[in-house]
Amino acid sequence: MGSKEVSALVRELVYRLLPSKSELEQGGADRAGRLDAIAERAYNYAVRIFGSRIVPSIINDEGAMAESIKRQLVLQGRSSDALAFADLHRRFSAQIGPGCVENKWALLYVLRSLAEDQRRENAETRGIAGSLTSTLSGPASHGGLPALPAPLDRTGPCDNLSPPKSMVVSNGQMLKVQNYGSTSFPSGGVLILSKDTENAKASAIREFVELCQEESEISEGALVRDVLYACQGIDGRYVKFEKELDGFIVDEAFRVPRATRMLVRKLCEVGWLFRKVQQHIDESIKQGHMEEIGTVGQAFCASLQEELSDYYRLIAVLEAQVHNPIPLMSVGNKVENYLSLRRLLVWLAEPLVRMRLLAVLVDDCKGLKGGAMAGAIHMHAQHGAPIVRSIMARLLVRVCSPLFEMVRRWVLEGELDDIYEEFFVVGHPVKAEALWREGYRLQSGMLPSFIPESLAQRILRTGKSINFLRVCCDDHGWAEAARDAVAAASNSGNRGGLGYGETEALEVMVVEAARKIDGHVLKIMYDQYRLRDHCLAIKRYLLLGQGDFIQYLMDLVGPDLSQPANTVSSFKLAGLLESAIRASNAQYDEGEILDRLRVKMMPYNDGDRGWDVFSLEYILRDPLNTIFTEAVMANYLKVFNFLWRLKRVEHALSATWQTMKPNCSLARLFTSSGSAEKSQVAAILRRCQTLRNEMNHFVTNLQYYIMFEVLEYSWAKFLEEMEDAQDLDDLIAAHERYLTSIIEKSLLGERSKLLCKTLCSLFDLILRFRALADRLYENARAVQARSDSSLRKKLERELFLSNTSRKAASMDFTVEFLKGMGDEMDGVAAEYSSLFEGFIAQLPVQQHVDLKFLSFRLDFSEFYIRQHMNMSTAPLKLKRTPIKASRSS
Amino acid sequence: MEDGMNERARETLELAYRMSNLLKTGLDRSTLAVVMALTEQGVNPEALAAVVKELRREAAALRSVSFSSAP
Repeated sequence: MGSKEVSALVRELVYRLLPSKSELEQGGADRAGRLDAIAERAYNYAVRIFGSRIVPSIINDEGAMAESIKRQLVLQGRSSDALAFADLHRRFSAQIGPGCVENKWALLYVLRSLAEDQRRENAETRGIAGSLTSTLSGPASHGGLPALPAPLDRTGPCDNLSPPKSMVVSNGQMLKVQNYGSTSFPSGGVLILSKDTENAKASAIREFVELCQEESEISEGALVRDVLYACQGIDGRYVKFEKELDGFIVDEAFRVPRATRMLVRKLCEVGWLFRKVQQHIDESIKQGHMEEIGTVGQAFCASLQEELSDYYRLIAVLEAQVHNPIPLMSVGNKVENYLSLRRLLVWLAEPLVRMRLLAVLVDDCKGLKGGAMAGAIHMHAQHGAPIVRSIMARLLVRVCSPLFEMVRRWVLEGELDDIYEEFFVVGHPVKAEALWREGYRLQSGMLPSFIPESLAQRILRTGKSINFLRVCCDDHGWAEAARDAVAAASNSGNRGGLGYGETEALEVMVVEAARKIDGHVLKIMYDQYRLRDHCLAIKRYLLLGQGDFIQYLMDLVGPDLSQPANTVSSFKLAGLLESAIRASNAQYDEGEILDRLRVKMMPYNDGDRGWDVFSLEYILRDPLNTIFTEAVMANYLKVFNFLWRLKRVEHALSATWQTMKPNCSLARLFTSSGSAEKSQVAAILRRCQTLRNEMNHFVTNLQYYIMFEVLEYSWAKFLEEMEDAQDLDDLIAAHERYLTSIIEKSLLGERSKLLCKTLCSLFDLILRFRALADRLYENARAVQARSDSSLRKKLERELFLSNTSRKAASMDFTVEFLKGMGDEMDGVAAEYSSLFEGFIAQLPVQQHVDLKFLSFRLDFSEFYIRQHMNMSTAPLKLKRTPIKASRSS
Repeated sequence: MEDGMNERARETLELAYRMSNLLKTGLDRSTLAVVMALTEQGVNPEALAAVVKELRREAAALRSVSFSSAP
């Protein structure tokens, strides 16, 4: 909207200022013709100038502008005009509301600048009229506009700032050069007509001074002094702190020009900021509680204090300068002080910037402490301006020094020197075994942003290692390691002095200390506490690596464990464990390790057998229980129970084999004897053999998989990782991976619950089968015993005729019983094959572990797959037949 | 309302004109009105003053040339 209006107005301006056509036609038609072109060019020129984004080079201040105009009028010796102007301006500026001018300052500026121009023009036309006009219009006559205002014009906006040394003044009909300095000004061809010069000048100055004094009751010197007081946060005589306005202002009771009032207010911003900073320091140090501020807060206050002392120095210098007169600058006989309000503005510009920064920091750091405070200041240091950066760096070096001292003590001595909770490592009082895992923690809120997270983790671990050594391992070798670390760090370039901005030096020191101390921890773990030996012992005893021992143990405790759980004595089992150790190769193991092996009875329910509650455990003490925590041992227990069960099933199957073996001849006897009943019994026994074989195949292969694919493979990997471990965390992680991989691969993990359940029911079924087979063979043997003594039976039959029927009945009963057994066996076989098929089918579903080898071994001859195919394709065939039939017909 | 506004505007212009005369800017009433309108539009006063000066110089040049070439 504006641009359209502006362009219309500009066009209007152009036509008003350029001579009209009729005026030109008197001169010549061709000139009038050129007017349009010139007007168009002038219009474009004006639009271009307006379009350029020149910012006014002086401050938008109407009062100051009016002052300046008045002063000029006075200096021209037109004091009555000046008064008239003051009156007009007062009325003019009093007009507020719609329909009157808003941008009064701009209008005044234009008027003043045009007035000056006119004046100069007059002087020129009168003095050196001919030559100047011709030179001025020279470019214009060639069709171009003259260049932008020459330097002469430029003096316009500036001369209200400093009183001009000389000025061309027109005073009515008379022209003269007034010179305020002592030397006479070379007039450069201007004709000087002098007529009672002294009188006019003196009276003009007198009137001006009176005018000034009339407006202001207070001298500028007094104001300057008061402003300097205000800069120190003290109320002066005229300038006082106003609570409602929240700032220093000149007391309303005194009459001061508005321009001055504004200027004072601007100057006193420094004072306001100073008060704020000072207040913070006072609150923190003099009355505050140490717990709330902490050492970092104290350091912050101290560095603020130092910055303020710089500021005090400046103020003192300024105060000393207040009464010094300006050298070589005297107007008439009045001597001006060196410091005016405007000069003060320049002097205070830089301290203002600094004080603003400090005030912002004070605001930001309120309520923060420790690392958080250092972090907040660090955020401000991320700034492009070098002055800001240098101030912040200076502050941070001091603020961070307590923090870095804490880091140093923590990393090299393991001391948590942090009474005010400022450090980013926090300690919790915990028991020795949880010290490593839970004893210390990073507090992210207190971590300043210039320390990266990874470095913080490293710092945490190093101090933790020292504490771990001290508390859990009872070791004092770490002090040496720390000393080495310091020596190495100081050799690598820095002298052990840490500070803000030297994050690299800090990193070097921390890395060095961490390397030494972690190495020491690992050494202690391996050598003094024999971590490797214990891991191996756990593998051998809890993971059934020591085969002969387990075999003996199973043989010895088997009968006891078949009893109900509540009747099993753990003391007896402990004795049996002892004898199993003595009977096997385990006896050659060291006593220290064997002592740790214990029998553990788990809590039992009604109906539980000894098998369900028996387990072995391996006792580990400080500091190894940092690795082998209770949760880890619970996992080991889980694996042990599974393996123990598997072993038991295998054991049961081989026991069954033992019962079956002596009956081979017996079976042959049955088949050869030819009797129908007996052949039926033989068929049952044969089925029993097949089923056992099938089960044995499954169990053996599963055991093979567990032993070789799971346990040994994971163990080998664990050993490798143990070698590579750099610190205790790595070691713990490696061990955890080892255990997790065993659990996952043995199908004990969360994701293979279904499979594990199937496996358990398979085991149960096999145990049921074992009982069944035992009974079957017992009965079969009884049948055989009876048929062996058939001769004796015949005699008996003759002797006790009356008993015959009963004997036949008992014979029948046995056969019936065998038949029942056969049916039961068929049931078990059917259940087994369905369960097993389910198990096989689920194996490929387990995506997270590689079970390919297990399923390959279990189904080596693809027997089960084919069986499965036959069952699943059977209904398909039925569907197909009609198609075939239709084709054939 | 409208009358009051016009009245006030006229008064403002009158005051400005008198100030202008006092300062001997040589602007006539209507030109001053245009200048005021321009400053109200937010035109940079420094630029405006420069433009007015230039236009005046241009006009003077035109006149002097036309007068000198007339005889």
